Amino acid sequence: MSATRRALVATLCLVAVCASAPAAARKSRPVATLDPVGTWNCVVYGHPAFGDERVLLNLVRDRATRVARLLDGEITAWVPLTHWDVEDATLTFTDSRSGRDYKADLTRTTLGGTWRTATLLGGWWCSPADFVAAPTIEQAKPETLMPPLLPSRTATPVYPIKAIRDAKQGRAVSCFFVDAEGYIVQPEIVELSDEIFRAPILNALARSRYEEWPDKRLLRPGCRSFIFRLDPLTGDASTSE
Amino acid sequence: MARAQLIGLAIGLVASAAAAQVQDRAQNRTVLGANEFLTAGAEQIRVGEYDEGIRLTNLGLREVASVGERSAALSNLCAAYAAKGNPDRAIDYCTQSIVLKESNWRAYSNRSYAFYLKGLYKKAHDDLEIAASINPEARQIAKIRGMINERSLQPSVIMEDHR
Repeated sequence: MSATRRALVATLCLVAVCASAPAAARKSRPVATLDPVGTWNCVVYGHPAFGDERVLLNLVRDRATRVARLLDGEITAWVPLTHWDVEDATLTFTDSRSGRDYKADLTRTTLGGTWRTATLLGGWWCSPADFVAAPTIEQAKPETLMPPLLPSRTATPVYPIKAIRDAKQGRAVSCFFVDAEGYIVQPEIVELSDEIFRAPILNALARSRYEEWPDKRLLRPGCRSFIFRLDPLTGDASTSE
Repeated sequence: MARAQLIGLAIGLVASAAAAQVQDRAQNRTVLGANEFLTAGAEQIRVGEYDEGIRLTNLGLREVASVGERSAALSNLCAAYAAKGNPDRAIDYCTQSIVLKESNWRAYSNRSYAFYLKGLYKKAHDDLEIAASINPEARQIAKIRGMINERSLQPSVIMEDHR
């Protein structure tokens, strides 16, 4: 084989490798299945000391992001956040006032994800709001948009006996929607320290109820965190000997 | 059910006392040796005939030559008494066994089980840790640990609603 031919083959191989590498990378990239544009009823949770927030989030096609908070039963004015962006099916935007960087996984069935600051982190979970955000929203009654979500029966998960035997403790967060009859629907486990706790959590959620509200079309977002803890029983006779 | 499980465990922790001290750690078995009384005693304990097993083991102990054999036989007596629901006597035999041979993981494991029967979970846990440090592959240790955890740990689930 002549030197020219060898150089040609080498060049072709190089081109093939260069062309196939991005294709392979594209293949492994997640694909967004959720369109985030619209208005969302959201619950934002984090450290218990700071409490939870109920907010309305509005993402516009031109990538503008706005948020309105519910304070003392009133919807505050819409406040602009940074523009939202999507990369690898991950939506990001920032609330520069609170310093929270929000992230959402757009491969999920609904909008929700995590937020973090330099020292804190938490999560958020939304259901679609069936109205278009407009300046007049400031006049709307919050009860019609986000009726209060009041638990009427909170079932406790069973601590799996295998987890006790293996001395496993853990933490989990589940987010879900609540329908107008107070039933929990579409629960998702968004954080889970050990698979052993998944089934008891989903079981307990299925047995839990919230109080009903009149608007049958409305689904409310909610989240519940669980801490599975094991403490030594004080009745051990070893200590008293 | 629990009783059956406990007895099963005790039987599982019986060593072949007349052992030539050749141990297969993964199988948790000891190759049988020459002292027929101890061999027969271990077998009787294994099949749940504790009184007969104790009688034969005591006979065998009169002829025991090596420290290892004596330690294994005492550990078997410990297992038998624990299975009979006499943890105090079991603890006594296990302690004698450990004094003779500190590396006898079965004796620690049996004594742990006897402490467990008495509700002395801290001591049971401590003995089990020693047994595990000597033979980390022993399946019985994981079982006893699970039983101790079941009794000594109080589970709770703390929930918080975000809404």
